[in-house]
Order: sequence, then structure tokens, then C-alpha cells
Amino acid sequence: MDELELLKKHWKSQDTQYPKVSAGDIYKMILKRSSSIVKWIFIISLLEFGLWAALTFLLKDSKNAQEFDKLDSDYLIIPLTVLGYVILAYFFVLFYKNYRRISVTDSAKVLMENILRTRKTVRNYVFFNLALMAVTFMAALYIEFDQNKAIISRAQTAAANGETFMFYAKTILLVACVLAVLAAVLLFFYWLIYGLLLRKLNRNYKELRKLDI
Amino acid sequence: MDKELEHNFVALLEEHQNIVHKVCRLYTNHREAHNDLFQEITIQLWKAYPKFRGDAKFSTWMYRVGLNTAITLYRKSKRTINTYELETFQFKIKAEEYDDTEEQQLKLLYAAVHQLNDIEKALVFLYLEEKDYREISETLGISEVNARVKMNRIKNKLRTILNP
Repeated sequence: MDELELLKKHWKSQDTQYPKVSAGDIYKMILKRSSSIVKWIFIISLLEFGLWAALTFLLKDSKNAQEFDKLDSDYLIIPLTVLGYVILAYFFVLFYKNYRRISVTDSAKVLMENILRTRKTVRNYVFFNLALMAVTFMAALYIEFDQNKAIISRAQTAAANGETFMFYAKTILLVACVLAVLAAVLLFFYWLIYGLLLRKLNRNYKELRKLDI
Repeated sequence: MDKELEHNFVALLEEHQNIVHKVCRLYTNHREAHNDLFQEITIQLWKAYPKFRGDAKFSTWMYRVGLNTAITLYRKSKRTINTYELETFQFKIKAEEYDDTEEQQLKLLYAAVHQLNDIEKALVFLYLEEKDYREISETLGISEVNARVKMNRIKNKLRTILNP
């Protein structure tokens, strides 16, 4: 006898063996909150959008930024800020549309693809933001070195003392530290998302893809 | 209206709950995990229910939501422990119905099925539920031919496990 036929026979004979969940218990269950990965992906994505928005605001309000505003920087910073918001709006709409498309009644493959697509939108947003942030940073540094009298005089003093190298090295180190902290926060998010939530999904998606080759 | 929807849903699920139990049986291996997955599938079914149209059979619709939840949406809760309580809890094999070899084979078969990956389990599950390859392919989103090929491979795999 075919092994699976034996299993099938037994499988069918087991129908009466299952625990019986009462209607009352089902009522209670549907009041409970889901703990599906989609819910967590949604929350984490909102946090990511929120984090970037908050970061922009915080940087804007800091003392340094206020000092910076006194410099002639509008020609660069305003377009970059506007671009930042346009990108945020674009990705958020895209993210929400993709999120709404996730349906548990699709085929397994389509469901997985839609979840992955939603995540990809957020990831792309983060990449764009990182690029934008790098550009803004460089623009800001350029303006500071070009216009900030304190920095110019410090650079000149350093040059006079023959410490030009040290001066630039320190500046670069500071910028690198800030970027490292940001990168650490991002890595934490990615560890959360890819390490914990999407590991199973990715594995199963690969398996399905493998079947269709 | 909402009350009526809720009432209809609960009645339908109560009637067809074995489908959910069977999914849980394949994808979990102890009682707590079984209950946890059962609950998550119930929540997913309920969330999707307003969009359920009578044009599909409730049970067919349940297979899809149940498997999608088990394969994709469900995140093992922390308390899930990986112990093998299969024989004591889920796979009671009545000795009187089967001879010794068959009983032994069944035990091995269930253990072997549990070793399959999530996608293979889904195929086996739909096969055991006597779904045709069209439905299997539609549920998983792969082609009918590939579903058939994969099913044959799984059969061979199980055969090897049983007759080493």
C-alpha cells in the first residue's frame, strides 16, 4: 500500500478525535488581537517613517541648526527639505497602498509577494533618506566651511599652527560618529524585521519560487 | 448587522473547525502551540470574513486562510517549546485498527511529515484532504504541473524515510 494512502486512511478516521471549541470560545477568540507578522511589519514601518520625520524636526530645532539658519543657506536647504517631504509623502502613500493589498485570501505566493513588496517600499524609503541625508550633510558642511566665520577662523588658526590635518581629521571623525549612531539604529530595525519577522516568510517564499523554476 | 455577521461566522466556524484543527496538527507539535495557532487562524478568518462571498465554499476559503496563516502570517509565540509530544497528544493511533507493522509505519509517517518544510506540509495537507491538483496549485500559487512534480518528490521522500 502507498505510504500516503495509509496516512490518508488514518487521517480521515481521526476526524472525531479533535478537541471541540465551543461557540462561546470562538466569540472570545475573535475579540483577541492578532499577533501576525503583518501587524508587526505595519507598526515597525510606521516607527521608521516616524523616526525619520522626528529626526528631521529635531535637527531643525537644535542650537546648531539655528546658528546654521543665520548663514546664507536657503538656496540649498529649502529645496532639500521640500524634496525630503515630497519623498516621504510619495513613499508613505505607496507603502499604504501596498499594505492594503495584503490579503490573507490570496494564494500563498501572492500573499508573500505583497508582504515583501510592502517591506521593500519602506526599505527604499530609508535608502533614499540616507542618500538625501548624506547630500544635506555635505551641503551643510560646505556652507559651514564657506561662511561660518568661527569655523573659518578656526581652520585658519589650525593652518597657522600646522594642524590642518588634525582639524579636518577631527571634523571627519565627528561626522563619522553621528553617521555610525544612525547606522546602528537602522541595523537594529533591520535585525528586528529581517531577523525575526521575515525569516520564515523568506524561507518559505524561496521554497515556493524553487518549485516554479 | 454586525451581530448577525458575527453570529453567522461563529456558527460556520464551529461547524467547520476541524479544518483549522487539522492545519494546527500539521504545523505545531504540542497543545499550547496548537491552541495558539488555532486562535490566530480564527482571528484571521474573522478579519477576512466581511469580504467572504458565498461564491466560494466556506470550507475552501478556510483552507486558504488557514494555510496562509500557518505558513506566512503566524509568528511562533515565545512560549512555544520544541518538544515532541506527538504520540501523547496529537497522533493517537488506535492499535486495534491497525496491525503492528502498520501502526509502526503510521508513527514513522507522522514523524516524517513533521520533518517536512512548511510548503511540503501544505501540499501533504491538501493531498490528505483529497484536494485536486488544480486547487492545490491555486492555493499555493504554483503551477499544476509543479504541484504534481513536488507531490511525487514528497512521496519518494516519505518512502525513503520508511524504507531506509
